[in-house]
Amino acid sequence: MNAQEELIRRLSIKRSRQLGSLSQEAFAELELAVRERPQDFVDDDAEQAFATIAQALVRYEESRHDDDLLDDEQFLAARASRLARLTASCNEALELDERCIDARLMALLAADYAPDELMGSLLELDRRLEEMEGPIESGATGDAWADVFARPRLRVKAALARTCLDTARFSMARTYCEDLLAMAPFDTLGARYTYVLVLARLEDEEGFEWLDARERRKGNAWFHLSRVILMYKLGRIPAARRALRGYDQLCTGGAYILLQPILMDTYMPDRPTFEAGSFMESMLAAHEAEPIIADVPDFVAWACDQPGFYDSAVAYCQANGFDWREPGM
Amino acid sequence: MAFDPQREDYQRMGLRFAHTLDSSSPAEATRAFASFSRRFARERDSLPQSDSDRAFHLVAIASKLIDYELPFADDAEAQKLIERGHQLLDEALSLDPRCFDAIRMKAAADKPSFEAFLEFLNEQSDEVWRTCNEQSTRILQKGTNDERALLEASLAMHPYLRWVSTQAEQALICGRNKQSIQLCLHALEVDPHDEADIRFTAALAYAKLEDAQGLATLIQNIGSKLRTRPANDAWTQLSLIALAHKTHDLQSATDLLVDLARLYPHAAETLLRQIELPEGVFARLAVKPYSEDELVLALSETTVLLQEGREPNGRGVLGAWISNEAAQMLPPAVASMIAEQMRDLMDGRGDVL
Repeated sequence: MNAQEELIRRLSIKRSRQLGSLSQEAFAELELAVRERPQDFVDDDAEQAFATIAQALVRYEESRHDDDLLDDEQFLAARASRLARLTASCNEALELDERCIDARLMALLAADYAPDELMGSLLELDRRLEEMEGPIESGATGDAWADVFARPRLRVKAALARTCLDTARFSMARTYCEDLLAMAPFDTLGARYTYVLVLARLEDEEGFEWLDARERRKGNAWFHLSRVILMYKLGRIPAARRALRGYDQLCTGGAYILLQPILMDTYMPDRPTFEAGSFMESMLAAHEAEPIIADVPDFVAWACDQPGFYDSAVAYCQANGFDWREPGM
Repeated sequence: MAFDPQREDYQRMGLRFAHTLDSSSPAEATRAFASFSRRFARERDSLPQSDSDRAFHLVAIASKLIDYELPFADDAEAQKLIERGHQLLDEALSLDPRCFDAIRMKAAADKPSFEAFLEFLNEQSDEVWRTCNEQSTRILQKGTNDERALLEASLAMHPYLRWVSTQAEQALICGRNKQSIQLCLHALEVDPHDEADIRFTAALAYAKLEDAQGLATLIQNIGSKLRTRPANDAWTQLSLIALAHKTHDLQSATDLLVDLARLYPHAAETLLRQIELPEGVFARLAVKPYSEDELVLALSETTVLLQEGREPNGRGVLGAWISNEAAQMLPPAVASMIAEQMRDLMDGRGDVL
């Protein structure tokens, strides 16, 4: 979540509403001014609350920079205090504006609940928001994301979709993803990535093909990995093998990350940004797919046995100076 | 009714014996049959039998060792049981190279992974089906349509039913839920009375695919054909619980769990422990319906549902939820004692079995 950018946009829109109808040029001017000194444009509690969590998120991200240098114990301690600070900021924001959705969402995520517990809390939050604010409208552009004030609720839904996947509630995850794609077809939050994993898990080939076509078959790590899993689950091994080759060739470090899973921290509050085709993309996809891969117990061993896959993983590892642990050790 | 190898051995020999009595008078036949049980138990070799009967007998002994004794043996004993079991299966195959039970049971031990075993079962499945089906059809064509011919024909299909049951279960374990369902539906066509209880596996596979409609249809179809027991067995109930939990309908899930706990003795403890057992290599172990053992078995097979999802203690999302619910059904002291034993077991420190 780029909270700083969202804050600027929110403040610009609110101020322009106060000023009455502005031309495009005037609005651009205004936005520049807001960007320069956002704090000067905060004139209600709702925006003060949003500014609070925007700052808290920046601090949160900054505090993670040295994680690589810590041992496990130090990391856990650093993580706990970082989450505690974030929770305090969320509470601060909620005191200013109890309807600050992002503060509610992040407070739940920062509480570090087990996924099944988080599920209940998120459902409750989503239900209350529906009651208070009604359904999310797609708006004039046809994409709810265009309305910066609708984004927090979309983030709640996307978090719900991912939590459904984590708690083995695949039909529910599918419904949230479908809702998100209907409300925000441009899908800035990437609900389709959660969706495609869910379709693989449900062995829904028709659904997969539909979504892949919607994506104009250009795919990415989630799509490539899902195709391998789907074909494998359907017992179409030659197709699975071809899909695995595609995954290996098209996803940077894809083979490596499948054989050497890396611990990823809680998404705060949504999936971290990544560049298309980057190692980060492969890492996020493999991380999100973990529960589905674990449900296919021989999948990783099978992939490892396919010609070239293991070598490709080792080569990526060596080229990037990572440590190699033999899979299954 | 699951497959009981000793019972089936007895039935096969009984049928073979009955054929030899066809030309005798009713009085002679009755007298001869009166001695059958004793001879079966003590002078088996004096009874008429084919090589395939002999092979099946060895399979039955091997099943007893591997499925019913091995789980309770200590390490030293276990090794001996395994070796003896393998010898018996090898012997069975030397008598009857088409003894599909022996072939399957050997592969279960020899194949290095679930996947490899499933692949093996997939490859041979058509031949097993053809062979059993031909034999069964031949019996029905030859025999007058009496009870004996029906039983013989049904026994001829058993090796295939066990094959396809194992195949469906392996497919479920391997995450191939659609394949598992297709196999179950095929088996149910062949065996509408579901001697193999394969509908239990189908129920779990429908829950895995979150296909509530499919499960409802299965329950309805089976219900209309089977009068032996209603669809409130632990497998079906656990599948319904999983579906309710998967839609986050926790109240329904709790209600169903309470129903299940009422049906089975000591259910709360079993639900809390969730012991994972090795699959029966001959077939799903034959246990009494609604017994404590049946719930243990059903829960063990439900592992594919219990252990799914991210859960901090490694029990799986549904597994952890059921444990918590079950703990609340027990006196707190008992619940915490079992929970502690389970923790030790998970840490690999203690030994509660």
